Amino acid sequence: MMERASNFISNNRRYIPVLATAILAFSAYGIGAIYFEGLRNPQVFLNLFRNSSYLLISAIGMTFVILSGGIDLSVSGIVVLTTVVSAALLRAGWNPWAVILLVIAMGMTMGVVMGSFIVYLKVQPFIATLAGMWFARGMCFFISDNAIEINHPTFKILGQTRLLIPGLKELADKQGIPAPYISIPVVVGFVILIAAVFLAHFTRFGRTVYAIGGNQQSARLMGLPVNRTLLLVYTFNGFCSVMAGLAFALFVSSGHGLYAPGFELDVIASVVIGGTLLTGGSGYVIGTLFGVMVLAITQALIQFIGSLSSWWTKIVIGVLMLIFIGVQAWLTNRKGGRRASLDAQAYRRPRQRLALVAGVLLTIIVLAIIFIPRLITPSAGSTPVSDQCEVKPFRKDEAASLIADGAVVAYHRLAGPNCIDEMYAIYPDGRVVGDNGTSQVEANKDPAALTSMLMTIRDEYGWFTDEIVDTYHVPCRQCYAHYVIIVHDGQEKGTTAVDGGVSMPPGYGYTLAVIRNFLPVMPPAP
Amino acid sequence: MNKPANFSRTWKKITENRIFFPLVLFLLILFFDFLFIPGFFNIENRDGNLYGSLIDILRNGSVVSLLAIGMTLVIATGGIDLSVGAVMAISASVAGILMNPSALKNEVFFVTDPTYTFQPLWVVICVALFVAILCGLWNGMLVAYMKIQPMVATLILMIAGRGIAQLITNGLRVQITYRPFSVIGQGWFILPFSLYIVLFMLLATWLFTRRTAIGMFIESVGINFRSSFFSGVKEKNIKLLVYIICGLTAGIAGLVASSNIRTSDANNIGLFTELDAILAVVIGGTSMSGGRFSLVASVIGAMVMQAVTQSMYAIGVPAFALQAIKAVVVILVILLFSEQARNFIRSLGSKKQEV
Amino acid sequence: MSESNDYLLAMEGICKAFPGVQALDTVDFSLNRGEIHCLVGENGAGKSTLIKVLTGVDRPEAGKISLDGKEIHPRSPQHAQSLGISTVYQEINLCPNLNVAENILLGREPHKGGRIDWPKTKILAAEALKRILDIGIDVTKPLSTYTVAIQQMVAIARAIDITSAKILILDEPTSSLDANETQQLFKAMRKLKEDGVGIIFITHFISQVYDISDRITVLRNGKLVGTYETDSITRVELIAKMIGRSLSDLDEMSSIKLESSKQIKSEVLLKAIKLGRIESINPFNLELHSGEVVGLAGLLGSGRSEIARVLFGADRPDTGVIEFNGKAVTDHSPLGAIKRGIALCPEDRKAEGIVDDLTVRENIILAMQANNGWFHYLRLQEQYAIADKYIEMLNIATPSADQPVKNLSGGNQQKVILARWLATKPQVLILDEPTRGIDVGTKAEIQKLVLELADEGMSCVFISSELEEVLRTSHRIAVLREREKVAEFSGEVDEHTIMQAIAGSES
Repeated sequence: MMERASNFISNNRRYIPVLATAILAFSAYGIGAIYFEGLRNPQVFLNLFRNSSYLLISAIGMTFVILSGGIDLSVSGIVVLTTVVSAALLRAGWNPWAVILLVIAMGMTMGVVMGSFIVYLKVQPFIATLAGMWFARGMCFFISDNAIEINHPTFKILGQTRLLIPGLKELADKQGIPAPYISIPVVVGFVILIAAVFLAHFTRFGRTVYAIGGNQQSARLMGLPVNRTLLLVYTFNGFCSVMAGLAFALFVSSGHGLYAPGFELDVIASVVIGGTLLTGGSGYVIGTLFGVMVLAITQALIQFIGSLSSWWTKIVIGVLMLIFIGVQAWLTNRKGGRRASLDAQAYRRPRQRLALVAGVLLTIIVLAIIFIPRLITPSAGSTPVSDQCEVKPFRKDEAASLIADGAVVAYHRLAGPNCIDEMYAIYPDGRVVGDNGTSQVEANKDPAALTSMLMTIRDEYGWFTDEIVDTYHVPCRQCYAHYVIIVHDGQEKGTTAVDGGVSMPPGYGYTLAVIRNFLPVMPPAP
Repeated sequence: MNKPANFSRTWKKITENRIFFPLVLFLLILFFDFLFIPGFFNIENRDGNLYGSLIDILRNGSVVSLLAIGMTLVIATGGIDLSVGAVMAISASVAGILMNPSALKNEVFFVTDPTYTFQPLWVVICVALFVAILCGLWNGMLVAYMKIQPMVATLILMIAGRGIAQLITNGLRVQITYRPFSVIGQGWFILPFSLYIVLFMLLATWLFTRRTAIGMFIESVGINFRSSFFSGVKEKNIKLLVYIICGLTAGIAGLVASSNIRTSDANNIGLFTELDAILAVVIGGTSMSGGRFSLVASVIGAMVMQAVTQSMYAIGVPAFALQAIKAVVVILVILLFSEQARNFIRSLGSKKQEV
Repeated sequence: MSESNDYLLAMEGICKAFPGVQALDTVDFSLNRGEIHCLVGENGAGKSTLIKVLTGVDRPEAGKISLDGKEIHPRSPQHAQSLGISTVYQEINLCPNLNVAENILLGREPHKGGRIDWPKTKILAAEALKRILDIGIDVTKPLSTYTVAIQQMVAIARAIDITSAKILILDEPTSSLDANETQQLFKAMRKLKEDGVGIIFITHFISQVYDISDRITVLRNGKLVGTYETDSITRVELIAKMIGRSLSDLDEMSSIKLESSKQIKSEVLLKAIKLGRIESINPFNLELHSGEVVGLAGLLGSGRSEIARVLFGADRPDTGVIEFNGKAVTDHSPLGAIKRGIALCPEDRKAEGIVDDLTVRENIILAMQANNGWFHYLRLQEQYAIADKYIEMLNIATPSADQPVKNLSGGNQQKVILARWLATKPQVLILDEPTRGIDVGTKAEIQKLVLELADEGMSCVFISSELEEVLRTSHRIAVLREREKVAEFSGEVDEHTIMQAIAGSES
């Protein structure tokens, strides 16, 4: 019985990394859901996909590149270039569909160019794609130094449309909660995912990619069109990068060359954690989906825990990558063949031991680096909770009294890295007052603009609908907490939210953004 | 019959010297500056210290030069270290926290006293460099003993390292107000102090590798790992050593960089500098597959890149368009440094073909 | 009688030269339909070059290749394959990460409705395996889960299936197989033979040659020694053809007399007791005395280099003990060996010997420097002195000590490596094929040198494929066959006895 089990395992060894990632993703979410009520909201789960749709799309393309044994560092460059080009063209009045087609062509061209460098000029993929990234980011600044906003209605629709999930709507209605929804980029992402799985497993192109990653020399000798396939791989990745760029542009509604720094590392991490070997030839496209989920869930969990700095995300990702690379190395050691297995056995034992030692060393080093400086400095016996800013409760009464005084918007902002406490009020004549306890500011804005803003908030962002609910939780070190009351056309509503989470409804975020345009700058507290 | 033969031999010797190409590039750029940028070569003397665009190049290029020194050794063994930027951030964070631990406490107080530091300067520097060496040790263990590919192994620290740096400073940008520390990046003794640091590290590393057998072993390991093994060279230890040195130089670079901006900004310090360092080494003529290396040529390579950047600024190219220019430079360099191009240039000096 | 019309393949007068060496000198080769023809020869004989010419990797300067009576000019391996000539190399050129069916059908997968038809692929692959080789395995498992023997079968199946090959070339297929797997392979080969495929089988295992082949062609130093019916040549005769005295060299060699005082001290320097390594060399005993040259005779693959490496310490032994000067050795590493005073000049000078970008001087002092450690760097003056000393002593032809070693000819490179090891002043010097690819004059030099060193008290192990050489330089000879030491003789033994020992039993 045990033998049959171990036989089964060794026959299906190649699925282990993918399964491991999937199990990791779901169990992490499950455990989180036990501790945090917010996670039990199905919308929060779906928001994971909404917020990481661009990561998923890009990672799908990267999977093919890595499967072929290469790497592509240019993805973040193409993503931001896409955002900037689309924003600029839309601003100039182009037809949005023409814009989309154009940027796709642009991205695929860049892919072809980089691929040619790699295949024909034999430049190392690392360097060629790095040059591509610099070039793309640089090109952004030729177009514009500052961020360009995207205001085009089509893009707004693409970004903000909510797609209800059939089946879940009825369930939700029964329970009286808002129907869960996803966005168009998520659907696009899944469509590309399905297409990619098909490509990888049911076309000659996909099998050639795997063959090249397994042994490029052999693939050539077997008569496969290696050069053409590699070119196609990089072109496809260019396409995916553009699509990711479009999804990202929809997400942030603007374009700027400074966005998404280090994005390519997140993409690579997703692919590796998804079970694909960095050396190529082994891995499954579906694994990348789980890898993206792991990244998104890690981020969400850390935000929900709140007391951990969000930079723990990077560390966790790094540790996960180490584990996965180690596991991959171990699994590939046990090749078939007596000779190979003998050598492997000779190497495996010390290597396993080394892996264990390395893991322990890593933990010790990380802990040492973090804690030694703290030990040397006098710490106030701080517990993790009090390490951060002590967030005071919202001054809801004060805000309410401002409204009673005639303000149409009362906005209380707390926390953040500098632990602020600012209260603003906007009056119908355009006057804006702000107070942070020590100083006051005042400004006069155009009342017409104010009215139009309020109308946008009511109609487009749905402030007064059931969409916008209180989503307050303990903010992370860098994050702000908000309480906003808005009065318009006979309706009044005040809601709380916290930055940087998956929980803040998008409408809230947009509202904050437009309100901020109105607010004068407050001098920092001494 | 003798004269042409002598010339071709000398030409060959000159062009085969590793320093030739980067130096020529550097001079080309300076020539370009001379033609197109008025006042570029002005050097003024203020209070005994020299200032000017040329001096700026040397000063601003010191961070990448430091990285290039360590990176040269790593690449010479056939490896690569992508984590140098993250190590810079870690060392800067450690230094910052040790001088201004306010970030760890609950209060956010601003230190305004330039003579205040929580730990004496020598402790700060030693601990920061010690941590940087630990990072190098980590990379070296992964590559040399666990036989993980260098690109993969150092990628891990590249990703996790910034997170670690952020943790050390609790996510804040730590202000560094301690005056003596800022001497590292901003001090001036006739020439910028950071330049002296570069020269010191260059000399120290040169002595360490060329006045001992270590340099020869590094090259041997990079050229032919197996032959080195058979000849009794401890290849694993050599690889471990070069990653440790690379970590050390990254640590020093981190101190210089943070001293320059008087902050330890774990987010941005050293961002993308690993790529500049690798490029500097490539310009300096060290092959990415390993083998012969030249520290001086790599430093000149770093200065070349800085000169390009500076010249572009001086002409008025907007700051970030520079990245696109850099990309073009990378491509040109790679094509230029391909074997064919080098052989072609070498053959210009000698008419005879080798039989 | 125009025989060439009956042959499936006829190669006539093939000449191929590389810079500095004539790889093939007017070689003829023929292959019948349904014949298994073995191509044998030691290193440098020209076997791989002949195959490269046949498969279009290299183009010959002279000669004609005819397939089924028609002349062909293969331009590339792909082209050769389309003509019907398939090759399975020693490093199985398949993709181990894909499954068996895919490997067989990669690039030709059947499609249904725009996508790959996996069920049909599996069926076709299984059917091909059955049809061509008469074996049945689970074609859905990844190739890497199978033993090397099975992987080779898959490679063969692919090779034949792709173009219904007429000629199959198997390049050293049995090096990684055990006895059972070899028989499996032979069974498959016999099936192919029945189907009329002509098989060229390159191997160095003499017993296998006799087991499977119909005819044997022997090459030596680029020249054709002869083609024989397997039934009509005995093992000893075959070995004589491969490594025995060759007439042309004989005249030159005999004029250079080797003198040696043959004074063997009884002091035992190195003693190997039941030393063995799994899959490498079976446990053996060997004693090396000071002032003595021990020759290792045997064919390629018999374990000669393996013995060299395990005595040196580059490979760790799995069984047994090495005693050096009476003390057991615990530190099995090249550095440990150097410190003890053991030196090894490895067989593959390109991959294990020279560091090609380093200069002659650096190559020579490399091991010495490794012995000194990182910090006791030899002064440059000293380095040049040592280098010059050996350049003169060994007559190394180089413009200067600063010349990169890669610019030297093969023979001189070998001398540089020899110099490297001599510089460490070893007590035991192991030389693995030190004269390979070297001209006759230098060969004699080296042999003389070895004997001189022995006279000075060094103990040498001399390994060579040229039996004649081994005989000339050794005081004692150990014979190896198929990874086992089978006999030991004194230096006065005659060639015939040794060849019999190498050949083993006539079957």
